[in-house]
Amino acid sequence: MHTDIAICKHCGLCTDACPVEASEIAGKTMTVAQVITEIEKDILFFDESSGGVTFSGGEPLYQPDFLGELLETCQVQGIHTALDTSGFSRWEVINRVRKHVDLFLYDLKLMDDEKHRRFTGVSNRVILDNLRELSSRNHHIRIRFPVIPGITDDQDNVTAIATFVASLPSAPDVDILPYHGSGSAKYEGIGSSYSLPDLRPPSDADMARIAACFQEKKLNVTSGG
Amino acid sequence: MTVSDRVTRLRTQSLNISPSLSTERAELMTAFYRQDAGMVSIPVRRALAFQYLMAHKTICILDDELIVGEKGPAPKATPTYPELCCHSLEDLDILNSRDKIPFAVSPEARKTYQEDIIPFWNGKSMRELIFREMSDEWKAAYDAGIFTEFMEQRAPGHTVLGDKIYRRGFLDFKREIEMHLKALDYLDDPNAYDRRQELEAMSICVDAMIAFSHRYAEKARLLARQETRPERKAELMQIADICLKAPSHAPETFHEALQYYWFVHLGVTTELNTWDAFDPGRLDQHLLPFYRKGIEDGSLTRDKAEELLQCFWIKFNNQPAPPKVGITAAESATYTDFAQINVGGLTPEGADGVNEVSFLLLDVIESMRLLQPSSSIQVSKKNPDRFIKRATEIIRTGFGQPSVFNADAIVQELIRQGKSIEDARSGGSSGCVEVGAFGKENYNLTGYFNMPKVFEITLNNGIDPRTGKKIGVETGDPKTFACMDELMAAYVQQMRHFINIKIQGNNVIERLYANWMPAPFLSLLIDDCMARGRDYHNGGARYNSTYIQGVGLGSLTDMATAVQYHVFDRRTLSMKALLQALSTDFSGYENLRLMLTHKTPRYGNDDDYADDMMKALFEAYFQAIDGRPNTKNGVYHINLLPTTCHVYFGSVTGATPDGRHAGLPLSEGISPVQGADRQGPTAVLKSAAKMDHIRTGGTLLNQKFTPQLLKNDADLDKLVQLIRSYFRLDGHHIQFNVADAETLKAAQQHPEQHRDLIVRVAGYSDYFCDLTPALQDEIIARTAHTSF
Repeated sequence: MHTDIAICKHCGLCTDACPVEASEIAGKTMTVAQVITEIEKDILFFDESSGGVTFSGGEPLYQPDFLGELLETCQVQGIHTALDTSGFSRWEVINRVRKHVDLFLYDLKLMDDEKHRRFTGVSNRVILDNLRELSSRNHHIRIRFPVIPGITDDQDNVTAIATFVASLPSAPDVDILPYHGSGSAKYEGIGSSYSLPDLRPPSDADMARIAACFQEKKLNVTSGG
Repeated sequence: MTVSDRVTRLRTQSLNISPSLSTERAELMTAFYRQDAGMVSIPVRRALAFQYLMAHKTICILDDELIVGEKGPAPKATPTYPELCCHSLEDLDILNSRDKIPFAVSPEARKTYQEDIIPFWNGKSMRELIFREMSDEWKAAYDAGIFTEFMEQRAPGHTVLGDKIYRRGFLDFKREIEMHLKALDYLDDPNAYDRRQELEAMSICVDAMIAFSHRYAEKARLLARQETRPERKAELMQIADICLKAPSHAPETFHEALQYYWFVHLGVTTELNTWDAFDPGRLDQHLLPFYRKGIEDGSLTRDKAEELLQCFWIKFNNQPAPPKVGITAAESATYTDFAQINVGGLTPEGADGVNEVSFLLLDVIESMRLLQPSSSIQVSKKNPDRFIKRATEIIRTGFGQPSVFNADAIVQELIRQGKSIEDARSGGSSGCVEVGAFGKENYNLTGYFNMPKVFEITLNNGIDPRTGKKIGVETGDPKTFACMDELMAAYVQQMRHFINIKIQGNNVIERLYANWMPAPFLSLLIDDCMARGRDYHNGGARYNSTYIQGVGLGSLTDMATAVQYHVFDRRTLSMKALLQALSTDFSGYENLRLMLTHKTPRYGNDDDYADDMMKALFEAYFQAIDGRPNTKNGVYHINLLPTTCHVYFGSVTGATPDGRHAGLPLSEGISPVQGADRQGPTAVLKSAAKMDHIRTGGTLLNQKFTPQLLKNDADLDKLVQLIRSYFRLDGHHIQFNVADAETLKAAQQHPEQHRDLIVRVAGYSDYFCDLTPALQDEIIARTAHTSF
């Protein structure tokens, strides 16, 4: 059986019919209470590992009301919250939820605005501004830097990012994340082509070189994360 | 961690020798029983048989050895027990030629059996006696694969040594026996004469063991005289001195303690082929005083202690489990004899029991990497994380050891069963996952019980569809049932019927062993056999528990859940259609089968719909068994473990409502059905912890990981946290299988059987079967690099 995603109306009848769950609707509609019930199932493990819940995406800030309610409920219950975000959002939205976020996992990809537009489709200005704002308000932040060979791993970009992070008032810690191709199946699943089919993960030596650039700026850096 | 050349040679030798069948014990036993015993009681006759064996069996001291003694005439030359279960010529031929777990049988051995052993024992063995005494309905249920019978070819054992041999020698035991004999009250105690027989039998066994150790001393001295290398000469002289002293007197050194235990181990496993061999249990607790004393007075170093322990480990590996016959051979295909050395846990006073010997034992487990002995860590909330973490470093090397037990839960389990708090804290786990008060309990496992098969028979109103025979009770035609409660009531009635048959059989078999196969040597070692003047098999132990091991709880849960969900709740499937599909093994009903498998709530996902069903089925099993009396002044308890019996039980069970094809294995232990858990390891732990582990005597949970998942130091911390979390929920036991590249390749070929396999991808983990083929290949390649 083949699904032509272009004309699919996402009615879900095929997934109900398929006995082996070869096709699935990714994502489902849930209420805040339902999500909290799922989260509560893991409280024991949060207690044992000093862990908590991470809201990621997609981009969780695109559902600000839902996110805000979830974050607040977690905070009331003493569950540690992390927000994994691209930072591409109006400041008012971040400002609304930020007091319920214990940890920001904040992506930085490219410092060159032109390149940022080319690869992500948007300017990085608002991303950098939001990060500076958060940092100046003493939020706990970890910078997430994806090392994508040929795109983000050139010396200029790495140095520029390290310099920027070091200039932030709170000088946050950095996780450098090696590229991996495990998302390719998702592209197939939605009938889209994967634009980097031949890209290989960076070598250990490249990862070490990049880590050293951050360390030079007196930043704490973790590889893998 | 060090491995000397000596240990490397001994270990290589142990690995290279192929198991063979030795007729020595059978010949000696036959020669003894041919003699006219005269008017002696059965306990005394068994003691004399033991004495005869220990006086005549081959003495074996190999080059390089520091700990001496073999069960057979040489390493892996495995004795047989014709008085319990006499192999036929056909059995011997199968043992000699089968692909898996063979035992070499030489033409001479075959001839000896043909001419000497079989003619004498034919019709006289315990196995034949047991089958003669069982009822027709017992035999029908046994043949159908409802339950197995542990005692049909091995004697009740299921016990572990406590600490008494480290404080007292056999000469002290002798004095104790004499004291008890003097105290017998022939006026007011009507059993005084029987007690005297038992005590006299024990006394003969003391003499037999001391004489046996002296034979070793003599042999060592002889070898020393012939030895030209001065170092080995000195070692042999030392071995001779230790063998003269070790079992007769309380040990004073680390080396003496280990040799003493080993002599005792040989005694127990020569007297009878007791289940689960025998084992020293809490070895780090027992050895600590000798270790500290040796280090303090300079007579011992850590390296020397490690080498002695490594030699000790190799001794276990030299003793394959007794070769089996019939169904038992199919259900438990392994050389492992289930000696399980416990590390960690609590002291008898309830303090943190982890000490320097605990870490030493972990080093030995890692460096020896042997099938036997098995090993476990006992984890209490009082134990330090670094202890568990050290064990996880060994777990990730992927040979399935050590397994991980919840010491605090075990204490609660034993106390619920009525043990004193000190006895509970001195206990631990043995065999697979069974709990016991070490040195003080006979906790006899009597057979596996096929819960899914009983459900199948319930769906067929008492008939076994495999044979068409009516072996159960008529509990009603399920097509007439209006609700799930009716089906559950029918299942419970059917299960109780078969449990009753099993218990009736056990009540006879326990008496057969008590009357015909007393174990006076084992009775010396387990309190309070001596003080009571009662045999181990006859209620002599301080605590006497009988178990029936439930198998297939995960399968049973998914079967019942599927019926409840599709037939009674959603009413999208009629009972008639379901039964029709099952009767054809889903032939022509593939879509229905897939729907049952994939569109049903299943156990192992922290989903209360399925997990509540599991709890109800657990409770039904518990209520049918726990607390019922046995013949040894004790009661029944339950545990949930399969060894490899879920494969045999699956082979006799037809298609099941969870979409499982006829003949395939059932779920194992309390693990979910293979592939049914899709929500990650934490959800499995949550589901499994919903049953009340504290009211069992052991549950077994398996989780599979790949080496990548446990690559970094931080990953091991997470594993420690996972263990701690499960144990906070009172989980009893967990073991981690770290899969190798071969397993991953198999998972690629047959994803449906490996749905639960989790792999470390790149900074995160995923289900292996959900990855693209290219990524799977990449991970297989990586795994090949990191597996051992």
